[in-house]
Amino acid sequence: MIQDWRDIAQILLNGLMTGSMLMLPAIGFTTIFAVLRYPNFAVAAYATVGAFAGWVANTQWGLPAGLALVAAFLVAGAVGLLAEEAALKPLRPSGPLTVAIASVALTLLIENILRFFFGNELRGYDLPILRDWRFDGIRIGPQQVQNTLYACAAAGALFAVLAFTRLGRAMRAVADNPQLADIKGVDPDRIARVAVFIGAGLAGFGGMLLGLDTSIDPLTGFRVILSVFAAAVVGGLGSIPGAALGALVVGIGEEMAGVLLEPAYRTVTAFLAILLVLSIRPQGLLGRAA
Amino acid sequence: MTKFRIGRRAALRRAAGALYATSAAGAVSSFAIGGKAFSQGAPIVFGALPPLTGAGGPYGPAMLRAIQAVVEEANAAGGIRGRQIRVVAEDDQTNPDAGVRGARKLIDVDRVSAMMGTWASSVTTAVAPLCWENRVPLFTVSGADSITLLPHQGFIFRTQPNSKLQIETGADFLLRQGARRIFHLAAQSPFAQSSQDVLVAKFRAAGGEVVGYTVYEREKTAFRSEVDAIMRARADTVFLNGYLPDVTILLRELFRAGFDGRRFAPAYAINQNLLNSLPHEVTNGAMTWQPSPDVDSGAFKRLERLFGNTAVDPYSAQTNDHAALAILAAAAAGDAGGVAIRDNVRRISQGDGEKVDNVTDGLRALAAGRAINYEGSSGPVEFDERGDIRGTKFRYERAAGGRFELVELR
Amino acid sequence: MEAYIVAMLVFAGFYALMALGLNVIWGLAGMVNLGLVGFFAVGAYASALLTTKLLWPMPLGWAAGAAIAAVAGGIMALIVARLRGDYLAIVTLGFAEVIRLVASNEIWLTNGTDGISGIPGPWRGDVSPQQFNLIFLALVWCAVGIAFLLLSRASHSPFGRVLRAVREDEDVAAVAGKPVLWFKLRAFALGAAVVGFAGALYAHYNAYIAPDGFAPLLTIYIVLALTAGGVGAMRGAVVGALFVVLLLESTRFLAQEIPGVTPVQKAALRESIIALSLILLLRFRPQGLIPERTRTHSRPGATP
Repeated sequence: MIQDWRDIAQILLNGLMTGSMLMLPAIGFTTIFAVLRYPNFAVAAYATVGAFAGWVANTQWGLPAGLALVAAFLVAGAVGLLAEEAALKPLRPSGPLTVAIASVALTLLIENILRFFFGNELRGYDLPILRDWRFDGIRIGPQQVQNTLYACAAAGALFAVLAFTRLGRAMRAVADNPQLADIKGVDPDRIARVAVFIGAGLAGFGGMLLGLDTSIDPLTGFRVILSVFAAAVVGGLGSIPGAALGALVVGIGEEMAGVLLEPAYRTVTAFLAILLVLSIRPQGLLGRAA
Repeated sequence: MTKFRIGRRAALRRAAGALYATSAAGAVSSFAIGGKAFSQGAPIVFGALPPLTGAGGPYGPAMLRAIQAVVEEANAAGGIRGRQIRVVAEDDQTNPDAGVRGARKLIDVDRVSAMMGTWASSVTTAVAPLCWENRVPLFTVSGADSITLLPHQGFIFRTQPNSKLQIETGADFLLRQGARRIFHLAAQSPFAQSSQDVLVAKFRAAGGEVVGYTVYEREKTAFRSEVDAIMRARADTVFLNGYLPDVTILLRELFRAGFDGRRFAPAYAINQNLLNSLPHEVTNGAMTWQPSPDVDSGAFKRLERLFGNTAVDPYSAQTNDHAALAILAAAAAGDAGGVAIRDNVRRISQGDGEKVDNVTDGLRALAAGRAINYEGSSGPVEFDERGDIRGTKFRYERAAGGRFELVELR
Repeated sequence: MEAYIVAMLVFAGFYALMALGLNVIWGLAGMVNLGLVGFFAVGAYASALLTTKLLWPMPLGWAAGAAIAAVAGGIMALIVARLRGDYLAIVTLGFAEVIRLVASNEIWLTNGTDGISGIPGPWRGDVSPQQFNLIFLALVWCAVGIAFLLLSRASHSPFGRVLRAVREDEDVAAVAGKPVLWFKLRAFALGAAVVGFAGALYAHYNAYIAPDGFAPLLTIYIVLALTAGGVGAMRGAVVGALFVVLLLESTRFLAQEIPGVTPVQKAALRESIIALSLILLLRFRPQGLIPERTRTHSRPGATP
């Protein structure tokens, strides 16, 4: 299967592209986890919501992809915030597992609301598809590069917010220690809302990127969700750089599996990556020990 | 507070009224369908079990619409000897567990006299025993070869050709088109391996070669490495043996990679809906095939008209025939029981009878005591003793400018 | 109609068994298991293969289904014992997906996506379909009864008390000298055995199993059953299972009555109602319909 370095380079490159598609939903998932301390399975639904919002903006209102991505972010963020306040927040006193289970139900609910209004048909964005560039036998898709850049830009923006703004510092403070942050005059409720908005928004942004590369239907987010969780867990739940790293590990792992093992077992690779990492570092690659 | 109470009481009363109305309607209908014997006015009930959610979701809704369209037409034509037909649909959720529960309800509560429109092979195989145990014929579009090998006592009718027939004709077409090095890319399915066996035999016999065979995970969203393997194998043809969502991604990826060979897929995997969702230059030249009636088939044109703006996909063409076959068989038998339908399907679908391509003409001919041979929208619909379709023609089409054009029909 | 109700009660029996199994793992030991359907599949495949390929008698196949699922549960517990609950949820979810993929792809063993058909059922073919239904109804609810009695007893035994202690505070239990890992492993294996047994019975009732049937949706239903009934209470698991089947089936009739929507919209509404009812239950009755009476920890909002 692998004859020379180009094949390896091609696999790594493919993995990078696959990974960059998982990155934003994984970051969204982990952002919510960092602040609220429960795994929000509904990121699958938020990704689908973003994909549909972007599709409406792009094909119905004629916005270019870049602006449609903004719409995807805003709508998914708003839906996420609304769902959080209405359905999940009241459950927080019952413990993180209760919220997690409710978020599974929420995914099913949102998927079916989308189905109610949009049906099951596959929908494509109104964009031309470009041929790949070739460098010495290695192929790179210009649009995939562009999507990767979009993903990196969104992730970079989040890093900048966390590092340089008051809001970001407050978020990190709450993530580190909610009680202490409370004492310091940071309103944990407000921070939680911001985290959910950003987390769901990034999932939606990622969902639209995914849609640009495929076609969308109510199951769009659901198809990638196991890989997204794998990315977040491998990187360490609650660690945002970890989620980005985890996405690349899982993406490359899945492409490797497609070549070295059997393509039918890609998801198994993601699962094995989880087990391998967790058995060595139970807190994930970049996570802190609990 | 008082006002609220009154409001609530009124609402309760209204609810009770509605409840009474529905239960009364339920009583009437259960009374009506309780009597199996032929009595005027009692509707005949057909059960539809298409996938409306889950992986089959892109297909199920149109399949159901095709069934309903035929039933409406038959009802407008006076029904089956004066009896109206009612379709009760349950969502199989593309899941055998949900499918079995839905089938239970259709058989035990609605007392359907025929079941139609199951899509996933797993759902069909799961509900098949219920059907033959309860003497209800099952019309299906599922492709797994094993289905008609079940001990079904003649209760299964499959309008989708089995993989041997389907792949053999497809391979012959590709060989005619000059294909010699084919790459078989298949979603994991009950017919992936059997398709591969047929392809290897066919290509070897013609001096060609299957240069690669990959089974992929259907629910993935990126298939770059798979496409790289196709490029490396220097295939002149790739056979995309999958379904809409994954084949959409594969077509994009093949275009990006600059694959310039033939792309061939079942017509349910590349349909009009897919052509609408991708730029033309990506789909141009992609070829499909499906079982088909003659070019001038009235049945297919009627279905096209009924569907209006949306194109007819192979599965809807088949479920259209499911409903038509069940209606005409019941009319020919003069009995709407499951056994009568089973025993009369071949009587109205094959043989020397007058050729009809729609239920209106069919019902009229039967009422006049003439024998008929139904030619459907999915082909001549003739069944062998196992319940498999036989002697059907296939229609080969090529995508050009976002539409399909006919390449050949044989 | 009677045949339908009997069949749905049989399904409720399977769900009740699964909910009982989940209750040992989640309710007593406090470990979330979103891979339930994986153990269900392991039990179903084990029994189906042993009885069709090696022609084992059915009861032996069922026992083997339970035993093999228990072994899988034990191994799972060893792997995940050190993980926190949130990691556990994801790992178990992945496990079920892996089982489904293995069942789809290892055609030599499982017959792949074709599934295994013609699985024997007790007296199937010798009796009428309705009699077969009734036989199975008795069989599955006997199994539920036995599992219920055994698990209730276990739950009030020292074993159950230790599990609750582990659930409430693992460190305290460990300090008290309890081998926490060993207890977790036993709980996981016991729960998986019950779920595997349910899977084995299910295979012989339906006569057919395929990878498609073991989708994550089933896990959601069982979690819904247990949450509805009351996590921790064995009676709650049974009541919850009945409630879920009632919900799943009654929405059919409800959806039929909605005017002016397409069939897809009806299907979407039906699934929405199911999802929404889980959310509402968690919100307004978090302790379930049958709350656990021996619950020891403080209620939310109470001063610690």
